[in-house]
Amino acid sequence: MELRRETDRMMQSSPLNGRRAILWIGRLVLGGIFVYAGFSKLLMPNTRLWPMFVLKFSIAMNISSFAQQVESYKIISAEASQVVAHTLPFVEIVLGLLLLIGWRLRIWATAITAIMAGFLAAVTRAYLLHMDINCGCFGTPEKLTGMTVVRDGALTALALLMTIFAFREAREPHPWSAPEKQAT
Amino acid sequence: MREDRVNRRRAAAGTILLCLLSASAVLIARAAPQDPGVTDIDPHKAFGSKTAPVTMEVFSDFQCPACKTLYTSTNRQLMDNYVSTGKVYLIHRDFPLPMHAYSRIAARYARAAAQIGKFEPVEQVLFQNQEKWEQTGDVDGTVASVLSAAEMAKVRALVKGGTLDAAIDKDSALGQIYRVSQTPTTVFHSKGQTYPFAGVMTYDMLKQFLDQLLSQK
Repeated sequence: MELRRETDRMMQSSPLNGRRAILWIGRLVLGGIFVYAGFSKLLMPNTRLWPMFVLKFSIAMNISSFAQQVESYKIISAEASQVVAHTLPFVEIVLGLLLLIGWRLRIWATAITAIMAGFLAAVTRAYLLHMDINCGCFGTPEKLTGMTVVRDGALTALALLMTIFAFREAREPHPWSAPEKQAT
Repeated sequence: MREDRVNRRRAAAGTILLCLLSASAVLIARAAPQDPGVTDIDPHKAFGSKTAPVTMEVFSDFQCPACKTLYTSTNRQLMDNYVSTGKVYLIHRDFPLPMHAYSRIAARYARAAAQIGKFEPVEQVLFQNQEKWEQTGDVDGTVASVLSAAEMAKVRALVKGGTLDAAIDKDSALGQIYRVSQTPTTVFHSKGQTYPFAGVMTYDMLKQFLDQLLSQK
């Protein structure tokens, strides 16, 4: 009975309000997209996994294609594009997983918002310059259009909201934490 | 609090497992296509020995920048070190993408040039001047710059004849069998196995892969 009462108290003290709903949606949507984006850049469009030298060549080809897509934005040099292509997929996977797990949410939500803002700036610039390129968002080629800008804008807004709410939520006491003892 | 932490760890482990399972499912769903064998080879668009241990079919679009990169950065060394030495049989396949306005026209001219034995210089001039003719649409002028007047007259007659599209479509249909969705896509055939790869490869990457293929027993 005591346990039941305690559970009821916890549930009542942590209602799913709008702020927490945005946090959950942000974590699931952005975390899922980041993990998928990272994996797809490494494992698509070439998906042969065996034997080992074929797997290595597949991943090398996928990274090489992604480097080409990064370079086609004409923002950074070919060498810098190679560095981005060799690191970004891994960063995306790690950040996506951290967001899904929810550990140190404020830090990783801020990092994802910064990355999303960078993506949005790059695709908006390319769109305004009428560049006929692939967006390089995922492993398979996808033409950069107005819809790409809208999608990145929406995801950036979600990331920003999630970050703001994560900070606000942290300022309040955790609903499941034990009530503070009254000073006697 | 401790229970909460344990639950969080369980949720984290579950999330990671779910991600790995999803990635595996995607990869299994995109399993390799069946090998239809190397057929319909235009001898004017193929280089090297037919009996070479490795055959490479390159599905390419003359207006695609990545195809130009592959041609300019990798092709020369591939020809010198693997094709000329009888290790690789290289076949050029047409795969003009609908998103490129002039790629089919360029493919027609290249095919016509192949029929009079002039594929190599035409392929070279089309890739090297890609940025120019894709702006102006002047494929004819670009090709004319490397052919004599008599050769150009033959090429123009073949292009106007309208018989080249069937051969181009045949290559594209073959690409569909290999699930080619982007250019360049290179299909390697070795010891009864087929390995299609999409995208640009540097010569060093290609060399490493070809050496592994050639050393397979």
